[in-house]
Amino acid sequence: MITFSIDGREVQSPENLMLVDAAKYGDVEIPVFCYEPKLGNPVGACRMCLVEIEGIPKLQTGCSTPVKDGMVVHTQNTRVHEAQEAVVEFLLINHPLDCPVCDKGGECPLQDISFGWGGGRSRFIEPKRHFQKPLELSPLIAIDRERCILCYRCVRYSQEVAEDYQLVLQERGAASYVATFDGHPYVAPFSGNIIELCPVGALTSRPYRFRARPWDIEGSGSVCTMCPGQCNVTFTVRDDRVLRVLQRDNAEVDDGWLCDRGRFAYQAIHVDERVTSPMVRGQDGQLVPVSWDRALSEAAAGLTAAGSAVGALAGSGTTNEEGFLVQRIVREALGSRDLDSQRAPVSRDALLAISDPALQATVPDLEFAHAVLVLDTEPVDDMAILDLRIRKGVRRNHVKLAIASARPSSLDANAAASVRFAPGAGPAFAAELVSAAKGEPSSDDARSIVALLREAGEDVVILASERVGVALAALADALGLRDRAGAGLLVVPSSANGRGLREVGFLPDAGPGLSPVAEPGRHAGQIAEAAATGDITALWLLGIDPLRDLPYRLRWEQALSRAATVIAHTNFLTEGIRDHATVVFPAEAYAEKDGTLTHPDGRLQRVRPAIGHSGAGRYGWQVLTDLGTRVGLHVPRVLTSGIALAQLAQAVPFYAGITQDEIGGRGIRWQERPAASAFPAPAPASVNVSPAPRVGPSAPASGLRLGTFRSIWASPEVEHSPALAFLRPRQKIEMAPSDADRLGLGDGQRVLVSNNGTQVSATVALRQAIPAGSVFLQDGLAEDSANVLTGSIVEVRRA
Amino acid sequence: MTPPYDPGDVVEVLRAPEPGGAGGAYRAFGETLRGLKTTMKRMTEKPVTVQYPEEKYPVYPRFRGRHKLHRFEDTGLEKCVGCSLCAAACPADCIRVVAAENQPEHRVSAGERYAAVYEINLSRCIFCGYCEVACPFDAITMGHDYELSDYDRSDLIFTKEMLLAEPLERTPLRREGE
Ligand code: SF4
Ligand code: SF4
Ligand code: SF4
Ligand code: SF4
Ligand code: FES
Repeated sequence: MITFSIDGREVQSPENLMLVDAAKYGDVEIPVFCYEPKLGNPVGACRMCLVEIEGIPKLQTGCSTPVKDGMVVHTQNTRVHEAQEAVVEFLLINHPLDCPVCDKGGECPLQDISFGWGGGRSRFIEPKRHFQKPLELSPLIAIDRERCILCYRCVRYSQEVAEDYQLVLQERGAASYVATFDGHPYVAPFSGNIIELCPVGALTSRPYRFRARPWDIEGSGSVCTMCPGQCNVTFTVRDDRVLRVLQRDNAEVDDGWLCDRGRFAYQAIHVDERVTSPMVRGQDGQLVPVSWDRALSEAAAGLTAAGSAVGALAGSGTTNEEGFLVQRIVREALGSRDLDSQRAPVSRDALLAISDPALQATVPDLEFAHAVLVLDTEPVDDMAILDLRIRKGVRRNHVKLAIASARPSSLDANAAASVRFAPGAGPAFAAELVSAAKGEPSSDDARSIVALLREAGEDVVILASERVGVALAALADALGLRDRAGAGLLVVPSSANGRGLREVGFLPDAGPGLSPVAEPGRHAGQIAEAAATGDITALWLLGIDPLRDLPYRLRWEQALSRAATVIAHTNFLTEGIRDHATVVFPAEAYAEKDGTLTHPDGRLQRVRPAIGHSGAGRYGWQVLTDLGTRVGLHVPRVLTSGIALAQLAQAVPFYAGITQDEIGGRGIRWQERPAASAFPAPAPASVNVSPAPRVGPSAPASGLRLGTFRSIWASPEVEHSPALAFLRPRQKIEMAPSDADRLGLGDGQRVLVSNNGTQVSATVALRQAIPAGSVFLQDGLAEDSANVLTGSIVEVRRA
Repeated sequence: MTPPYDPGDVVEVLRAPEPGGAGGAYRAFGETLRGLKTTMKRMTEKPVTVQYPEEKYPVYPRFRGRHKLHRFEDTGLEKCVGCSLCAAACPADCIRVVAAENQPEHRVSAGERYAAVYEINLSRCIFCGYCEVACPFDAITMGHDYELSDYDRSDLIFTKEMLLAEPLERTPLRREGE
C-alpha cells in the first residue's frame, strides 16, 4: 500500500495500480472508454481519462499511469474539466447522435460520459463522416461505423484475447473503421463478446436488435448449462421471455467472457419446437400431449412393471438434485443398479483417484501455473470458455503450454509443444507420460512433454478429458502435484454437469458421494446391450438422446425399439426420442431451472429460474418427486429445490451442510469447505498404471484410423436457435492432404466413410495438421453422426 | 363543562315573527317577489348550460387530452421510431413500446426502427404530458379528446392504430377571448 493524494484527499491504494483504479479507493471516478483490464495492457487511445499530476506539465492518461507513493493528482480542476469536455466534444464530432434508434441507448457509456463530463454543446457544424449503415459484421453482430469512437476494444479483443486475428482497423485518421481484414463476416466461437465490450452502439447484437430498452427489462443471474464451462450469465428478461444473455463476470469460472453458443442459444427457449407439455405415445404410434397426471401414471406404471430391469441415463444440464432423485428412485424404489451419466465408462476407483481434493486445480490456476498440459481434449469444443483462459495465461503470464491430443488443436499455435497420438490412445499416452515422469523407458514424445513441464516449473495444471481415467492421478503424482496449491488436475467431464452427476451417485458402480455399492450395475454401453437383448425393458433418459449423445448408435436403435417403456425428459424431440419414447416429460430450459450444478473444478453453482415455465412445464425436482411417490419411494416430500439440495447434502458426505445461501451467486468449491475431508480415500493400488503400448499416430496397415469429436455447435439448442442456424454443423471428414491424394479425393468432395457394414456420408475437409493415417468425424449431429460407425478403422471412398 | 358564553352576560333571544298576521303575509309575498326579481333580471340572458353530449365543451389549445401519434405529411411514414423514451419518462408506467426493424420492402418509420407495438393504457394515464416532452421526434403529442369513458377497462388500452387515427369527432377549441 502506498499513499497518494487525489483531489486534496489522502488515499491508500496498492502501488502500481493504474490511476483510474487507484482513484476508486478514494471514491473518485475517472471516466474511461478504451481502458479495459480484461483486454490486457492499456493503450491510451481515447484520452477520456486525462488527469493532472503535480510535477508533470501535461495532463496524463489515468488509465496508463501507475500510481506511485506521494503522487498528487487532480481530477476536479478547470484544466482537467476543460480537457474532459474537449475530449467528449471531439469524440462526438463524428458521432451521429442517433440515440433514439440506437440499441445501446440507455446503457451506453458514451451517453453517460457525455452527460456527466461533457460540455453539452458542440461547435462542429461541418458535415459528419458517413458510412453505410447498418451493416452485418456477422449474422450475429451488427456494426454501425458512424457510431464507432475508435477505442480499439473490439480489435484488441480479437487480436489479443480470442486471438482469432480477424478484426482490424482499416484506413487512417477520421476515415478509420473496424472491419475484418478482407471483408468476410466475423465468425468465431467467441465473437459475441465484442458486443458487450463496445462502449458505444457501434457493435450490437442482431438477435437482440431493437428488442428492448434497459428500462423495459430485468436481469436475472444464473449459470449457462450448455457445456461443463458453466459460465455465469445474466438473462435479460422482458415479458417473461429471455431476450439476451450477458456475462456475469466471475473470475473463478469464466473471467467475464462467454462463447457464442452460450450467448445466443437462449433463442431455443422460445421456439415452437420445444416440448412444453407431457406426451405419451398413443395407439397410432404418435406422441400426443396429455395431462401430467396421465403421463406420470403411465411413466410410473412402466417403471414399476420393469422394476429392476430399468436403465437410467443422464446428461447435459441435469442438475445435482434431479440426478440425486433419479438415482434414489432407480436404486431404492425400483431396485435397479443400472444407471450411468458418462459417455465412456470410468471406474469408481479411477474417479476417486482423479477427483481427490489434493489433486484438484481450479480454473484460474490455468492462467497462473508455470505450465499447462492439455491432454486428449479440445477446450474450444469440450469446455469452450477455457480456451480463452489458456490463451490468456500463455500471452500474459508466459505459461508454457503443452498439448497432447489425437486431433490437432486450435491452441497448437500457442503451445510450446504439441504431440499427436492415435485416436482413442489418450489413456495409453497418459500412461506413457507416467512412465516418462518416473524416469522409466517411454516414447520420445512423452519424454519431451514431461521435460517441458518440469523445466517450466513446479506448478503444472493438467487439463484432461475424463476418459483418460486413472492415469491422470498417477501422472499428477509423478509430477509432484499432490497438495500443491495452484497445480493439479482439471478433468473435463462428458456432459455439462458430469462432475455433479457422478458425485451425487449417478454411476453404475458408485452411490452418492462416490460411495461403494454392493454390486456394480451396467454402464451405458452395457445398458444398450441389455436393452437390445431384452434384459432391460425400461429406459429412462434425462436430457440425453442416446442416438445422438452416445456411441454405438445402431445398438441404441435396437435397444430403444426393443424397450417396452422409454421415458424421456427433454426439450426437443430429437430422433431417438421422437421415434422411440413412450412417455415424454418437458424438461426445463436452463432459464427455468432451479437447482445446483458442480463445475469440473468442484465449484457448486446455482441455476436460478429467470422466467416461468413455458406451457405446462414444471420443475424437474417436482416431476421427479411426484414420480418417485408413485413408484413407492418413501421420502420426506420435496417441496422446494432447497429441500432437494438439503437431502442431497445429507447423502454426499463431502457436500455436507451446503445450502443455497452458502453457494450464493458465485458458487463455492466443495474442496474449500471443511466437509471436504470426508472425501473417500482412493484405494492406493488403483493408481498403478500398466505400461502402455506404442500409440503414435502412424498409419494403420489398411484403412484409416477414425477419431471423433463433438463440435461446440453440435447441440439441439444451436439447431433450434434461428440466429445460430448458419453454424449448425454438417458432417465433414477431416483428413491429411497426403491421405486424400492417395485416395484421389479433393477438398469439398462428398465421400462415404464406412466400416463393419455401417457408413456415413461426409464432405472432405483437408487439414494440413492432421497426422497421416487418421481421419476425424463429428459426433452429436442429427444426421450422419459419427456414432453410426462402430469400429476404429474406416474406409473412405467417393460418394 | 364551561358554557360557550360568559355566564355573567345577558343573553337576548331574537325570535322570528309570529305566524299569521303581517309577518305571515310578508313571508308569503315579499320573499317570493324578492326571488322573482332575480329571475326576471336574468331572464334576458342566454343559458350557460352546455348541451353535452350534443354540444361539446371547447378546450384550450394546450389542453392535455388523449394522445395522438403523428405521421410525416409528405411521406406518410410514422414519426415514432419506437425508442421507448416516452415509456421511460411516463410516471404512471402506462406506455408499452416494442420496437422492430424497418425492412426495405416494409418501411414504417423514417428511422432504422419503428414501434411494432405502441400501447398507452389510458385508464392509468395521468395526462401529465411527460411523454410528449420526452419524445425526440415530436411523434407523440397530447390531443384534445377528453371523451374517454368506456364499458370495459381493457378497451382503454389504446393501440398504435387508434392513436394514429384522426379522432372521429374533433373536439372544439376555445377561441381567443372565450
Ligand atoms: S466498434 Fe466499438 S469497440 Fe470497436 S473500436 Fe469502435 S467503439 Fe471501440
Ligand atoms: S463456454 Fe460453455 S458454459 Fe460458457 S457460455 Fe459457452 S456453452 Fe455456456
Ligand atoms: S401523459 Fe404522462 S402518464 Fe400519460 S402516458 Fe404520457 S407520460 Fe404517461
Ligand atoms: S413516441 Fe416518441 S418517445 Fe415514444 S417511442 Fe415513439 S419516438 Fe420514442
Ligand atoms: S481510458 Fe485512458 S486513454 Fe482511453
